[in-house]
Amino acid sequence: MTRDAVKATEEAVKQGKGTQSTDKGLARRELFRAAGLGVGALGAVAAGVTATGGPAEAAPAETASTGYRETDHVRKVYEVSRF
Amino acid sequence: MSRAVDHIVPPEVAEEELFRAQVYALLARLLARAPDAAFLNVLGELAGEGGAFGAALDQLADAARGSDPAAVEEEFTTLFIGVGGSERTPYGSFYLTGFLNEKPLAELRADMARLGIARADGVTEPEDHIAALCEMMAGLIGGEFAPEEGDVVGLDGQRAFFDRHIGSWAGRFFADLETSLSARFYRAVGTVGRSFLAVEARAFDLAA
Repeated sequence: MTRDAVKATEEAVKQGKGTQSTDKGLARRELFRAAGLGVGALGAVAAGVTATGGPAEAAPAETASTGYRETDHVRKVYEVSRF
Repeated sequence: MSRAVDHIVPPEVAEEELFRAQVYALLARLLARAPDAAFLNVLGELAGEGGAFGAALDQLADAARGSDPAAVEEEFTTLFIGVGGSERTPYGSFYLTGFLNEKPLAELRADMARLGIARADGVTEPEDHIAALCEMMAGLIGGEFAPEEGDVVGLDGQRAFFDRHIGSWAGRFFADLETSLSARFYRAVGTVGRSFLAVEARAFDLAA
């Protein structure tokens, strides 16, 4: 989702238009669900997933850069998928 | 109010993106090294939620339940490390040019620099290994890196990275994995990867 799309979604929410960002966003979400990529399908495995220590791992560079902001969403992704 | 609020994504969308990151992280984990007994046990509890990807997850769970950790370790070595040449060569450059360390790797390194992604200390494998690329996608979705421009890499940026470095070959790699003679457990990994990438590609098209 682009930042503009996020902003548009927030505006829509503020104006009481629900949480649907765009028709495209809806179609995208429905595609994931239809394919079986529902939230939580990975269950406990998500907590067991750690990609660290692999032979070809990437590491974040200079995360203290001014371009970087950690939101709750990002933290959640960290916790569940990376730790 | 802080500008960080700009990045809060509606919960249902956030979960969906979170899930993508989880699948990439899972693939990265499985392709970086063989799962140990504990991880196989957890994988055995997977239950798909319908659809092609759900069916692939069910297969992976079945494979995990029927696999001996030592055998999976041996399978991993034969497939990816093997003495005298492994059965599969999971590098983008190899798939795209027939050789390791060719131009696709150079292009990847340029994009990594632009996106603020660096190779971890002590890692000597080329960065276009499938596990590294999956890990990078998980990091991009999670906003983990510090790109030169902008705060986060949105769907458009994720798509550009996917198209350039993953979509062009990784589907073939996963399909090859599914039919590898030495593969047992990793056939199921191949199916999960192939079906996930197919959904990703279609989803990027929808978002365009």
